[in-house]
Amino acid sequence: MTASDISDVVQAQSPFREAIRAFRQSWAGMLGLILLIIVVLFTYVGPFLYPVDPFEIVWAPLTAPGQTEVAPLGTDYLGRDMLAGLIHGGSATLFVGLAAGFITVTIGILVGAFAGFYRGAVDEALMRVTEFFQVLPALLFAMVLVTLFTPTIYVVSFAIGIVSWPTTARLTRAEFFRIRSLEYVNAARSVGAKNSRIMWRVILPNALAPLIVSATLTIGIAILFEAGLSFLGLGDPNVFSWGLMIGAGREYILDAWWSVTFPGFMIFLTVLSFSLVGDGLNDAFNPKLRER
Amino acid sequence: MNMVMMVARRLLHAFLLILAVLVLNFFLIHAAPGDPADVIAGEMGGATEEMMADIRKTYGLDKPIYVQLGVYLGRALQGDLGQSFFYNAPVLDLVLGRAGATILLVTTALLFAIFVGTSLGVLASHKPKGIVSGLVTLVSVIGYSAPIFWTGLMLVILFAWVYPIFPISNMFDITKDTGFFGYILDVMHHLVLPSLTLGIVYLAQYARLTRASMLEILSSDYIRTARAKGVAETKVYGHHALRNAVLPVVTIAGLQFGSIISGAVLVETVFSWPGLGTLAFDSILARDYPTVLGILFFSSVLVILANLVTDFVYRLVDPRIRTGG
Amino acid sequence: MKKFGIMAAAAAMIATVGSGTLAQAEEGKNGGTLVIGTTQKARHLNPAVQSGIATAVPGTQIFATPLRFDENWQPQPYLAESWSVSDDGKSITLNLRKNAKFHDGKPVTSEDVAFSLQTVKDNHPFKSMFAPVTGVDTPDANTAVINFDKPHPAAFLAMSSALLPIIPKHVYGDGQDAKTHPANSAPVGSGPFKFSEFKPGEYIILEKNPDYFIEGRPYLDKIIIKNYKDPTSLALATDKGEVTMYPFLGTSKDIARLKKSDNVIVTDRGYEAVGPVNWLEFNTKNEYLKNKKVRQAIAYAIDRNFVVNALLGGTSKAATGPIVPGSPFYAANAEKYDLDLDKANALLDEAGFPRGADDMRFKLKVDYIPNGSELQKGVAEYLKPQLKKAGIAVDLRASPDFPTWAKRVSGHDFDMSMDIVFNWGDPVIGVHRTYLCDNIKKGVIWSNTQSYCNEEVDALLLQAGSELDQAKRIALYNQAQEIIVDEAPIAYLNILPYHTAYSKKVGNPPMTIWGAMAPMDEVFLK
Repeated sequence: MTASDISDVVQAQSPFREAIRAFRQSWAGMLGLILLIIVVLFTYVGPFLYPVDPFEIVWAPLTAPGQTEVAPLGTDYLGRDMLAGLIHGGSATLFVGLAAGFITVTIGILVGAFAGFYRGAVDEALMRVTEFFQVLPALLFAMVLVTLFTPTIYVVSFAIGIVSWPTTARLTRAEFFRIRSLEYVNAARSVGAKNSRIMWRVILPNALAPLIVSATLTIGIAILFEAGLSFLGLGDPNVFSWGLMIGAGREYILDAWWSVTFPGFMIFLTVLSFSLVGDGLNDAFNPKLRER
Repeated sequence: MNMVMMVARRLLHAFLLILAVLVLNFFLIHAAPGDPADVIAGEMGGATEEMMADIRKTYGLDKPIYVQLGVYLGRALQGDLGQSFFYNAPVLDLVLGRAGATILLVTTALLFAIFVGTSLGVLASHKPKGIVSGLVTLVSVIGYSAPIFWTGLMLVILFAWVYPIFPISNMFDITKDTGFFGYILDVMHHLVLPSLTLGIVYLAQYARLTRASMLEILSSDYIRTARAKGVAETKVYGHHALRNAVLPVVTIAGLQFGSIISGAVLVETVFSWPGLGTLAFDSILARDYPTVLGILFFSSVLVILANLVTDFVYRLVDPRIRTGG
Repeated sequence: MKKFGIMAAAAAMIATVGSGTLAQAEEGKNGGTLVIGTTQKARHLNPAVQSGIATAVPGTQIFATPLRFDENWQPQPYLAESWSVSDDGKSITLNLRKNAKFHDGKPVTSEDVAFSLQTVKDNHPFKSMFAPVTGVDTPDANTAVINFDKPHPAAFLAMSSALLPIIPKHVYGDGQDAKTHPANSAPVGSGPFKFSEFKPGEYIILEKNPDYFIEGRPYLDKIIIKNYKDPTSLALATDKGEVTMYPFLGTSKDIARLKKSDNVIVTDRGYEAVGPVNWLEFNTKNEYLKNKKVRQAIAYAIDRNFVVNALLGGTSKAATGPIVPGSPFYAANAEKYDLDLDKANALLDEAGFPRGADDMRFKLKVDYIPNGSELQKGVAEYLKPQLKKAGIAVDLRASPDFPTWAKRVSGHDFDMSMDIVFNWGDPVIGVHRTYLCDNIKKGVIWSNTQSYCNEEVDALLLQAGSELDQAKRIALYNQAQEIIVDEAPIAYLNILPYHTAYSKKVGNPPMTIWGAMAPMDEVFLK
């Protein structure tokens, strides 16, 4: 038998199939999934169904929702259509959330995997680095990073990603440490599989469950993070995002509650959907805890 | 002896970490395009070339960067964090002047989150399918998913504007001359909405965590034995289960200190709470490097301290570690 | 003696110590604390080395100046009980009062005046204010003679408000750099209020000066200047009565809100001298903007009415040139550039920039001062769809903070930028700096960042700056303005809608031309 045969066998034993079934039974997960699909459709199909330029000034500034059919959800402080802003704001927010989430997960898994697998000096060194990033207050550091370089959605994504990875790293490390001493890993090793193969083809797939759950939460956090930065005025002003809308509307909150409430609600809905999906996945991978 | 060694090692460890924080941030900030002389010139209302050169000399910005770093570290170790570019005052004074407000806010929010959160979690674990449990899930999910500044703004509108029960912003009313006790009450009055806003996020987490831990523990052998032995239900909950369930909450709370400080920045901005968060925001925007460094340094120290304390508490409270098992 | 018309007294003025400087001053009542709300953070409290509103409001309470101005642009005695100007206009003699003391008890002498003037000249960013000063003679403790190398009518306004605070030589003369002197955060002055406490970014507490040199003043016991994060919370606090005076109220929504309030009076008086203009400046070195027709086209394409009425809620007035309409030097006849899209398009065609395949002629970047929201960012965002109608594509470039924006603009690394620039009373102080050829200084913000240079304009401005006859000055400035407006290095939009909202309990609110940037010794609480 070759090492690749081993990993094939190991794959067949993965709990993914049961997990998917369990997920379907979790009301949280299904609700989250439905919400997520709605948000995605709103964001990516919306522009075709409602092709209004969010930058276009369509009516008098700060018009309330329902006052004119030109702007069904009202206008912002410049007179731009709120609905158009909401539809177009989603893609930037989702982009940053996913990009930052991707960076976080990538760095986190890399660091955690090497630390958990090799242990010893490598672990020590990597943990120092992790601790260093954990000790820095995330938002403050991200604010410094964003102000140092121009705030574009790429810089923002990078800044968020780079302060958020420690949690993922720790989780990955714990998982790798737990799994590396299990039977099938020993089996792979005894057949002469290289370390890298063991790490990525054997351990990682089995560690994926909690990592996926964590990833959904990470994306949610990244979205909130982006909203926070935009609210403080540190987002990309050339791109419409929900956080930006809240930040812009903040000064008018008492006269135009809709300019803050609607984008805030969209963020809430999106993060909620990711949270619920994460919940559902958690239930799916940990059936034990579902007995309540 | 072992304990002392451990503490010493951790302290050394912490010291090196703080040093690393200082060095990295120093370089990072100085890597930025734009230099403080521009800031100061802009803040002054414009300046000539000669004045800018003068400013650079005054603040030692004309020396090579390694020299600047050396000077900075040397002074920092003596407790001198430099002079703020913007405020013409020592950074240490500025930071210490604001630190109290932030610590007050964060501690209140945390205590609120821990107490109310665990209580709700315990209640929910009593009847896992009941209303309280459902509410806990609902509130926790909402509290967790809504942007914290949005929650804060909504609270301001509701409880400071529409129903003006609480003040809109700030920590206390400087214009009132009420003596010490009155001052304390005034601060507490102002503290309610901000700490509520900051606490909700964590309350949500702790409630769910407590509920989950409680459920796991309640179905354990240990508890089953206690029940079989006829121990009263309240004692089962309060004495045995709760003690074990609170532990993860406290541990997480301590480890979340860094994230709480981040949350505090947003809350402080919404409520004009005069803490490190607002100082940080202003200093970052003003490119007031010494103050930014000072705040990053100080908050890192706070986080490290929180971690040390949490670790300590954990070792004290966790029966498994105590008995060496 | 020469006549100066509005600008200065014709001959030596005799002091009327103890009388109010406002044309109609109510009878005051002693006591009370005035709470002033602001969103501006003061770096420190010494206006001699720092320009700006944040320092000026507390600074003018702590420090006294030789002169003060009333609401009709007339100078009034203050630390100087009388003054006179030589026949050739090249020296001004100040006769200081004999009873003025600093808060630490030491007398205010001509030495302090000389020292202060030198400090301001060396450290204050407004170079043109005292550039012609060659020296100050101090023949005796109460006489100061300021010598100039040419007549300098701007000197009078420059000796009032926050522009020439008299600082104590015995405190600042210790060799330390005035810009970073520790006394800046705990200053000693001779004004109506003395320093009590300063918590940076939070509040400033000033207390009544019991030995103030004007008998029976100030009325107030205390002034507290409180910082607020944003205009909205400050407006709310004012409405609720937590704040009794909110000067420099400039956001249209809050102005509207406070105007509706029953507890508060809102006035736009007191900002005549500040002369704050919101405008769009062009980098005349840019390949498109170096063409006058392009600049004029953009000016014609912007609908100032929309900006003023829709974006800014009708709270501000239009600005059509470098000098604000409230100033005696305003040129009413210059081109106004009212909205004319056809003309804009025609000019662009003439300039040789036809529309391309995508219907656009070319692209320009616009910068703006961050945190200036509706005035800066709002207008910049409006430019995008509006200039599109003239075939110009506009991209916004956000600067995360003020220094980044300042660096870009001062480094001439911009196409066009929104900006806010103040007149500061006399055109020599705040207006010349934008247009003089020799003020094209890279790295210096609020200099001639447009790289605009017109020798004729230079000559007119410099001549007007040293012309003592008011009527002649006005004529010269009119000519200069017509040329400048025609060449359009800047598209002027509106005057900042500064208002003061004050509680009905406030008597004698500060309404001279300098508004809140003047001593509030006449203010009282009913």
